[in-house]
Amino acid sequence: MWSDLVDLLFQAYERFSLLPLFIEIALVFIVIAIILTISAYASILFRRYKAYVHAKRIAFLSPKIEDLITEQVLLNENLDKDMPIESFEFDKAALDNKIYKKPEVRQILIDTLIRYRKNFRGEVGELLRKLYIDMVLQEDSYKKLKSMAWETKIKALVELTQMDIPIADVTLLPLTNSRNPTLRAAARNAYIQLSKNEPFKFFDIATEPILPWDQLEMFKIITTSKDIAIPNFARWVSYSTNKSIVSFCLKLIAHYDQQNAIPTVVGLLETKDHYFRANAINCLGKLTAESAEPRLVSMYNSQPIICQIEILKAMGRIASGKYLEFLKHEFLYSFNFEIQMNAARSIIKHNTQTSRAMLNELVETTNEDNRIIIKHCQNPLIKY
Amino acid sequence: MPNILVIEDDDIMLKAIRNILNKDGFNVVTAKDGKEAFEMLETAEYDIVITDLMMPYANGLEVVSRLRNDSNKRNVGIIVVSSVGNEETITEAFRLGADDYLKKPIMAGELLIRIRKLLAYKTSKALFVTKRK
Repeated sequence: MWSDLVDLLFQAYERFSLLPLFIEIALVFIVIAIILTISAYASILFRRYKAYVHAKRIAFLSPKIEDLITEQVLLNENLDKDMPIESFEFDKAALDNKIYKKPEVRQILIDTLIRYRKNFRGEVGELLRKLYIDMVLQEDSYKKLKSMAWETKIKALVELTQMDIPIADVTLLPLTNSRNPTLRAAARNAYIQLSKNEPFKFFDIATEPILPWDQLEMFKIITTSKDIAIPNFARWVSYSTNKSIVSFCLKLIAHYDQQNAIPTVVGLLETKDHYFRANAINCLGKLTAESAEPRLVSMYNSQPIICQIEILKAMGRIASGKYLEFLKHEFLYSFNFEIQMNAARSIIKHNTQTSRAMLNELVETTNEDNRIIIKHCQNPLIKY
Repeated sequence: MPNILVIEDDDIMLKAIRNILNKDGFNVVTAKDGKEAFEMLETAEYDIVITDLMMPYANGLEVVSRLRNDSNKRNVGIIVVSSVGNEETITEAFRLGADDYLKKPIMAGELLIRIRKLLAYKTSKALFVTKRK
């Protein structure tokens, strides 16, 4: 039989070698295309079958797992007594069930516990955590953290963070500087949430940037997490060489109104990077740093538009009233619409007797275009 | 035994709330979305409605609004349980007539206390109205 097949292949090859070259090339392409199509379909079918089997398994196991959680956590009789969570005891026989030894079942159990943790805090939330620990599920998560696949690592980070399980710095810190932006962001978020004493330690070693979207996510975590130790962010503004860290710290300084950071931020006005300088000016404005006002005005004329606009905004936020004439001058004599608009807004923002009188005077004496700008800026619906 | 309707599209949360309330002696009926909830509200009377906000067919705010605009169901106690925590949504829920608002993750004990307080308030209010009549 094998010899027949070899003969057949040999004959086919002989016939093939007699064909013109372009037909040979076309035939090779056709065969490759057929093989690729078949393997693509086979792969899709295999994946679908795997997903189907997994879904069926989940459908079968979920009620059992939910029953376990209901009995051990939600309906735990000790919840009504004033007992510390650490002294709660689960039914050992239920936890030692053979079914919970299988890795895939343990994964479904972890996923279900996390879904519950997202919905419950307080005693129930703590008891869910205790169940996770008592079933040694953290070991499964730790194992995933050692995986080569970054998706698995992220899954482990999310699990451990949700369950508030500490991760050693030696494992987590390198991940905060990973070259993979998704893993890096997840590790940084996990570090902030899990490290109670020094949640921003990774700022010291970060060489990779914090992307703008990650900054938003991190900002949300920092400002909504409880019991987080907020450091003096000026320290990174002074010595970090990572521009995105400094830029992020400027936003945090403004958010936490860290007035003692003003001298450090003023020092940043010397920087050659325009965008960076604009961030520093923005921060000074939000801190209402009146002491920085003369410096901002003196540097105004030598600045690019982006920094000039930030200076005008900062003067509106500081609103000391000392530079109203300067703002008026910029409004009347600038040829840039953005500058005029920000100058007008900053005059309005002062909201003092002098500024209101100045506005009235401007409305009466200036041309029609400027009047429209003032009217537009006076609209309270337009955010400043 | 007070009747409570729980409207929640997350299976796990729905079962969990039902179990917690059953354990405390409440009679609990569940609905998975706004549409199912409207059908249940047509067929039975409830002392308290606990509703999520983000749900298919009809969201929680629509449920609150419809209950408060129905003269027969105006006095039902409404507690909103949602993961939405922004000021506009919370104030909108109260403006439409919700009695209480709990942000997820919730504390089971807190939910029970709020339900009992709301029930006590509704009972005393009903007594006051009857006495005045």
